[in-house]
Amino acid sequence: MSNPIPSIRILPADIGTSPTSAADGGQFLDTLHQAMNEVEGAQGDAATQVAQVLNGQGADLHSAMIAVEKADLSFQLMMQVRNRIVQAYQTISNMQF
Amino acid sequence: MNLFGMLELSGSALGAERQRAEVVASNMANAQTTRTPAGGPYRRQLVVFQAQRFPRFSFALAALHRDPASAVRVAAVIPDQRPSVMRFEPGHPDANPEGYVAYPQVDPIEEMTDLLSAVRAYELNASAVQATKNMITQSLDLLR
Repeated sequence: MSNPIPSIRILPADIGTSPTSAADGGQFLDTLHQAMNEVEGAQGDAATQVAQVLNGQGADLHSAMIAVEKADLSFQLMMQVRNRIVQAYQTISNMQF
Repeated sequence: MNLFGMLELSGSALGAERQRAEVVASNMANAQTTRTPAGGPYRRQLVVFQAQRFPRFSFALAALHRDPASAVRVAAVIPDQRPSVMRFEPGHPDANPEGYVAYPQVDPIEEMTDLLSAVRAYELNASAVQATKNMITQSLDLLR
């Protein structure tokens, strides 16, 4: 017991200054943001098409339905990825040292 | 091509079949029409389908990418070239001097067959959409 485990000290200056983790995290975050924007785009597209069908502006019913399907599936994919991220975080969070 | 591309393909087919059914409906509605803006009796309409390279810009750029899948689109709606049916109806206002009226060459049996075929093809493509949806859902279930 000559070398006890030091207590964890995080100084404010330590937060957010690690260049490597910022770069990796940033890349993944960018990908995630891009994916979320795509999901949002798909949802906007679906909303527009459904509105056009309901307004009688000549949009095809099946195109609107396919757009809705795409939005739904994109959202489900995003949710799955999000669940995985949360799960990974919880696994790390529950680690016993 | 990704799985969403399959949805696009089936969607194009749904649109084309819908238009085909529309044309059949128009033919049946005008089966007895003897007056048109162009003059003469209504002419039976036919749809012409055309395969279309999947409209994706990246594929167009990369000509090496040989994607066998192609969407369908209605290339043209053309009038049937068969002659009109002449019926003897001297009292009709559109009768010619000999007493014959030109009626459209619309055969109800032919039109009904076309309509059924269009409806079945629509069903087929709707099933393809459903199948694609199931495939995507199953891929997502892999993550669960």
